[in-house]
Amino acid sequence: MNPRKLLFTVATAFALVAAACGGSPSSNNTGNETGTLTVWLMNGSAPQSVIDGVNTDFKAKHPNVTVNVEIQQWSDVTTKLDTAFTGSTPPDVMELGNTLVAKYAAAGALQDISSKKGSFQNSGTWLQSLTDSCTYQSKLYCIPYYAGSRAIIYRTDLFAGAGVQVPTSMDDLMTVGQKLMAKYGSDSRFSALYFPGKYWYAAAPFVWDFGGDIATQSGSKWQGSINSDKSQQGLTQLKTLVSALSRADKTGDEAKQDQAFAQGHIAMIIANGWEVGVITDPKSGDPSLLPKLGAFPIPSHNPGQTAPVFLGGSDLGISAKSQHQALAQEWVGLLGGTKFQTQMVTAGGVIPNTTTLTSLSSGLPAIFASAAKTSRFTPNSPNWASVESANVLQDMLVSIFTGKSTIPAATSTASDKITQILNG
Amino acid sequence: MGVAGDARARVSSGPHLEAGPWRQTFARRALPYALIAPALLVIVAVLGYPLVNLVWISTQKYGFRELIQHQGVFIGLQNFATILTDPQFLYVIRISLIFTAVNVGLSMLLATLIALLLERVSRPVRILLSAGLVFVWATPVIPAVNLWQWMFDYEFGVVNWLLTRIGAGDYIHHNWFENPVQGFAVITIIVVWGAIPFLALTLYAGLTQVPRELVEAAQIDGARPWQVFTNVTLPIVRPLFIILFSLSTIWDFGVFNQVWVLLNQRPNKDYFLIAVYSFQESFRVSKYGLGAASAVVMVAILAVVSIFYIRETIRLTNEELR
Repeated sequence: MNPRKLLFTVATAFALVAAACGGSPSSNNTGNETGTLTVWLMNGSAPQSVIDGVNTDFKAKHPNVTVNVEIQQWSDVTTKLDTAFTGSTPPDVMELGNTLVAKYAAAGALQDISSKKGSFQNSGTWLQSLTDSCTYQSKLYCIPYYAGSRAIIYRTDLFAGAGVQVPTSMDDLMTVGQKLMAKYGSDSRFSALYFPGKYWYAAAPFVWDFGGDIATQSGSKWQGSINSDKSQQGLTQLKTLVSALSRADKTGDEAKQDQAFAQGHIAMIIANGWEVGVITDPKSGDPSLLPKLGAFPIPSHNPGQTAPVFLGGSDLGISAKSQHQALAQEWVGLLGGTKFQTQMVTAGGVIPNTTTLTSLSSGLPAIFASAAKTSRFTPNSPNWASVESANVLQDMLVSIFTGKSTIPAATSTASDKITQILNG
Repeated sequence: MGVAGDARARVSSGPHLEAGPWRQTFARRALPYALIAPALLVIVAVLGYPLVNLVWISTQKYGFRELIQHQGVFIGLQNFATILTDPQFLYVIRISLIFTAVNVGLSMLLATLIALLLERVSRPVRILLSAGLVFVWATPVIPAVNLWQWMFDYEFGVVNWLLTRIGAGDYIHHNWFENPVQGFAVITIIVVWGAIPFLALTLYAGLTQVPRELVEAAQIDGARPWQVFTNVTLPIVRPLFIILFSLSTIWDFGVFNQVWVLLNQRPNKDYFLIAVYSFQESFRVSKYGLGAASAVVMVAILAVVSIFYIRETIRLTNEELR
């Protein structure tokens, strides 16, 4: 090999090494990376203005990188994620429901970002329960994105018309509902409290409020406890409420409840904060309802207290197979950082990922944020996602509400199934 | 009678072949295989490989972790033992068989009636009817099921509105899917509606092949319409009936889209036909091994139907030869 050729080879090698380093986090200010960053966000999570804002800021730093944000639907996202992670080119960044993270982290689909935690804004003040959902075996696999909790949205005008106040206990909720039914119930489409049969996340507060739970863990073994006396007490209370106050589809899910509410024949629904936006959407809902909407946390059976609610929310994960780790981290950091989290609160009405911004909530969102103060989470197991996708709890509720099985029989079947899946 | 003619020629030339030199005989015998080899290769690649893979996965513990790592754990027939002792799976099989019987029966019956009607109506009416059938056939399944879903919707459905309006009772907020019998009735309507066009048009094409003079001769001899149908028409179109019957069975036993889309991708357990069950176990609960095992059972059951169909076909061919 002549010296000239050798020099060339060495130079090429250096160039290659330099190029390889270009993708590493140490040099993310270079701005000359190219490629496409694929991002999956869920339907209804971030307002388009926020997504556009993040992309504009990201583009300013990396003009040659194309960001491809694709919106996914909740109903089939697990199937799509499973398929994507199996392939060699899954999306670089994806929004994951907080109950789904454990499954993908345990399977090795997500990048361990424990060492980068400090580089994310507000990582010291992230919401504890979301950080917990991102943590699997003491390692961090995603960053918190936003939280959401459910409360009751109600029509102030209908309440005034029936001469009732916001209820302060579950019994009171029943009384209020009955008065509403007496006043407006002759309209055969009217529901005082609209409760579709499969709406598990609205049923959970009743179980928790009486001291029941979905499953309990001792050691590494899970045991379903939805059939415990306390859980059954909560479900009995719920069934009484639903049979007296709801004319919703006993086998339906909550997907269409906002459109139904916007039609004007419903006094109360149990909903997420962001659903106010769907109800008052000019296209799918009715904007004129906005001044007539109020909200209050689901009351506890103990007067004066509120029932624990499920703390829902989403996290942002980076796939382990992504070729653009540094870019992905940067994009995620922007959406999870102060600037855009502030916009998520003001424009999106969600609970932000950091406690330093929760005080920004005002009006209705503030009520949802306060409802989240007593919150609970689903069993933190990689197999929980399968319990959700097998519709175990939804099927149980449908059997109970339609009267196909008794509460003891339905809960016992569900509990066995939960035990089996969680220990699977 | 092309097939019968070829067969006779082959039979008569048999002894002649035996007498030829070995090499020549081999070449002649190998030729047919060489000719079907390309087709066979494609079939093996397109159908054989997935089938073998399916059977292979059904013998493994194959969950989401295994999927990501592309590596399952061999557990023999354990998946089969699990599903075949699971009361839910046995219920699924029973429901699927009943569902298939009802749907095949109804769609064949209605399709035959429509085909007979097509044969009798005047030309413009026939064109109109056929066009209608083709439109139904041309509608993609998913949008079609979505339309049906809206019609039977609990809150906004036109069916509930219409039934109430014409005084059939109070159907405001009637839930068609609370009682599985009613729910399956709706699914049956959708499946049969989608199946009729192909069956009716094919049967009509078959009926046009029945010689007019045979029918007329029977009528002159005093045969009643029903007798003409069972004694003259039916024997002639019988092979076609068997083919359509087998195809319908295969389609209706594998019904998936109608249930899945109609019930918002979250059907409850009452509505688990075997294809839905298999999909749920595999892609929802991420137990691909169990899902594959149930799919193998499904293939096995359909194989029985196919064997029946192949035997019938062979029998018919032999009858023709005689």
